[in-house]
Amino acid sequence: MKKVFALALTGALCLSLLAGCSSAASGSGSATAAAGELNLFAFGEMFPQEVLDGFTQETGIKVNYSTFDTDETMLSRLETSKGGDYDVVIADDYIIKTAIDEGLVSELDKDQIPNLGNVNPVYQGQFFDPEDKYTVPHGAGVMTIVYDPALVGKEITSYEDLWDASLADNLAIIGNYRVIDGMALKLMGESYNVEDPAVIQSAGEKLLELAPNIRAIQDANTQDLLISGEVAAAVMYTSQTYLAKINRSDLEIAYPSEGLGFGLMAQFVPVNAPNKDAAYQFINYLLDPEVSKQCFEYMGYYCTNQAAEELFDDATKELLVLPEDFLSSNDIEMIQPVSAEAEEAHMQVWTEFKSACGQ
Amino acid sequence: MKKRSKLWLTVVPLYVFTLLFVLGPMIYMVVLSFQTRAEVWGVVNEFTLDNYKNIFHPVYLQTFAESFKLAITSTLFIVAIGYPFGYFMAKLSPVWKKRMMLLLMIPFWTSSLIRMYGWIIIFRANGTLDKLLMGLGLTQSPLKLLYTYPAVVVGMVYALLQFMIFAVYSSAEKLDWSLVEAARDLGASPWQAFRTVTLKLTLPGLLSGVILTFIPSMGLFFIADILGGNKVVLVGSLIQDQLMKAHNWPFAAALSVALMIMTTLMIALYKRVTHSEELEGLL
Repeated sequence: MKKVFALALTGALCLSLLAGCSSAASGSGSATAAAGELNLFAFGEMFPQEVLDGFTQETGIKVNYSTFDTDETMLSRLETSKGGDYDVVIADDYIIKTAIDEGLVSELDKDQIPNLGNVNPVYQGQFFDPEDKYTVPHGAGVMTIVYDPALVGKEITSYEDLWDASLADNLAIIGNYRVIDGMALKLMGESYNVEDPAVIQSAGEKLLELAPNIRAIQDANTQDLLISGEVAAAVMYTSQTYLAKINRSDLEIAYPSEGLGFGLMAQFVPVNAPNKDAAYQFINYLLDPEVSKQCFEYMGYYCTNQAAEELFDDATKELLVLPEDFLSSNDIEMIQPVSAEAEEAHMQVWTEFKSACGQ
Repeated sequence: MKKRSKLWLTVVPLYVFTLLFVLGPMIYMVVLSFQTRAEVWGVVNEFTLDNYKNIFHPVYLQTFAESFKLAITSTLFIVAIGYPFGYFMAKLSPVWKKRMMLLLMIPFWTSSLIRMYGWIIIFRANGTLDKLLMGLGLTQSPLKLLYTYPAVVVGMVYALLQFMIFAVYSSAEKLDWSLVEAARDLGASPWQAFRTVTLKLTLPGLLSGVILTFIPSMGLFFIADILGGNKVVLVGSLIQDQLMKAHNWPFAAALSVALMIMTTLMIALYKRVTHSEELEGLL
């Protein structure tokens, strides 16, 4: 009897395993939604609930918001579904280039996006989509240095200042190795996207001199270290800078004189999107000035919607709208994919640097 | 005979499970480690040994050395604290043994990640420990405790101590105390009796505790990341960087294979030393 029971139990277990598989499969299958649903795929915490609810109220289309942690996760999901499953995707510039090259992105039907004229033209025509055929910008970021004047005791204006011995064990940086290696490259007057491994190596040597100043390397919530006084200065993403300034207005922002790394997020419609009509409606909706304002205040990236700029109050505007001549007057460069060889050199430099920080 | 064949059926799910979820990924990883990374994204099906050659680059070998250093340091502290703990726990009354066991288990109900964040609150500038030390007048200004090597070691010891305690405890509990008494009766000093009888008989527990703490500490890179501010680069963090940041999956796979070979050797060594087939305290 016992054995029969055991057999039945194992059978049940196997069945539940199989059931698990099939329900998982149908889960992704149901993403090929019927009309009236929009499958949105983006980073987490990009949209306040009011914005998503507002879209449903306006159009009757239900929004299924799925999130990813890294651009690479997004790309592999898109590859698996052959450009299907999702209607609107928002991701970073460099990965969109790969997605376009792989034929996973559909050309936009601009007639269906009347609000397209609201986009600030300075953010258009970038390397990943030079003719704006596939994407609509949704947020820009530059790498900034944020510091606590009370703890630093002098003005920071350049990357060079970060190397100063007075900042010993007092600097937090993000863990993006292209950005951090890039600081040393910029100090040497090189491009972020340099391909010569020898140049990257020598930037690595320069970077090793920075190691004694590093208190922590952290990607998530880097601003907390600055807010709590754990560090005196930090190299951060725009959204973190925004949060730091909102929490402590006494912190100073510096745009390093040697040059800035610049990145863009953009929306696109995958080539086999199940509900393209809904996708266009959503993109158009996000370009509405009032909706844009809510989105950018929520995520803390630079506003790419020109029509929304006037809606921010002055303090927020200073944080979320780049001055008109900012992009043209500063040495700004987008970080683009480099060859495997250069990538390998970056990785060695980065690993060596991290180890040196711990010594 | 018929009965036996039916009994065998019940083992099938186990085999299926092992094949699907253990052997499958393992084979996938080994195959991946011999492939070439694609120029921009993904993997090309082209045989190469470069991934393994790459491990011998000084920068990457350094991370193996660093992992060993941290694993040895934490294991030494864990032995120093865990062995006496487990030993004396075995001498408690049955009721207190159970209570002790429960107290040791309760922290496991919370995610280890969250427990590590607890340490951040203790260690950070003007955190609990700083306030305590300053309140007692021992220090004047906040110490920089977080993001240091000792902070990482504390996290490691905290995360893995229980494994040592349980391993030693299960060994010490089985110990026949009359043997110790016999040694004492025959004129051995307490220290001699401990060294020649107790230690020898609890050695399997101690060694399996070492295995159970040393091997995970080679891989617990998130502790070094959280409490060490990403500045202690272990093999685990290198693998993560290669996977998530450099997108060099084949190299990440090769590093994982190397790490697995090393841990397998450690277990083989354990078996040679103790002549036992299973880890004490595990079963």
